[in-house]
Amino acid sequence: MTPSFWRRLLGAFRPDGNAAWSRPSPYLDEPPADGDDARLELPWRHSWEHLPKRTAGFGFTRRDYRAARNRAEEVARLTLGEDLWRRLGRDGHLDLPSRRFPGVTYRLRVGLRIEVLTAPGVDPPWRHSFLCINPTYPLPELEFFAQLYLYVRDQEDEVIRVAAPQPWDQPLGRTF
Amino acid sequence: MGRIIVANRRGHQVVDWSTTDTDEARKTIQEAERILEEARSAGCAVSKKVDGVHLLDHGKFDPAAEEYQIIAPIAGG
Repeated sequence: MTPSFWRRLLGAFRPDGNAAWSRPSPYLDEPPADGDDARLELPWRHSWEHLPKRTAGFGFTRRDYRAARNRAEEVARLTLGEDLWRRLGRDGHLDLPSRRFPGVTYRLRVGLRIEVLTAPGVDPPWRHSFLCINPTYPLPELEFFAQLYLYVRDQEDEVIRVAAPQPWDQPLGRTF
Repeated sequence: MGRIIVANRRGHQVVDWSTTDTDEARKTIQEAERILEEARSAGCAVSKKVDGVHLLDHGKFDPAAEEYQIIAPIAGG
């Protein structure tokens, strides 16, 4: 018997009476087995600390990564809208002016730290010019890029609160 | 008909709800609302599509909305 068989069987006796296989989006108490992409995964329910950097899980195949990145592109485009999407394709980054720090611009690059740019004569708010900000669970980098754009644009205080300023640039650890 | 886009390592997955006046549709609305509340209480942000644009949203679940997205919590380092 496979693990998924037992998971389904046990799901049939859940207290809510809903058999796992009878619902379009059953939930799990643990992340779905790799390759089991039909089940809804609610990533905030799980701990991801054990994962190596820039990975999505042990056993994730190249095909899984490719499929995830394709889906991510679709949603990132939808989230940003066509104008920003085109600008990202043209420039390779998106710039957002800070609402908290006059003369400061955040430069967002896919899969990399935020670069903090300052206008001439403006003191930078941080000692270092790269802000390391990761999602708390693994995401394709394009998907997280679009989410980070929303944070910087709509919730800059949260970005300021969590940002870890770094003196150098490098890929984010929790995206792939 | 509305949907929640749940971003995860699969790229994303979708939870739909229906606004037709049936018991089944009401259950889908309750389930969508429950997922958004759970995500928020776990520290996630939520965006709502308004006039074609996604904006971070702090309001109550709106069954008339076209689309929500669950946005991962962020951490430094």
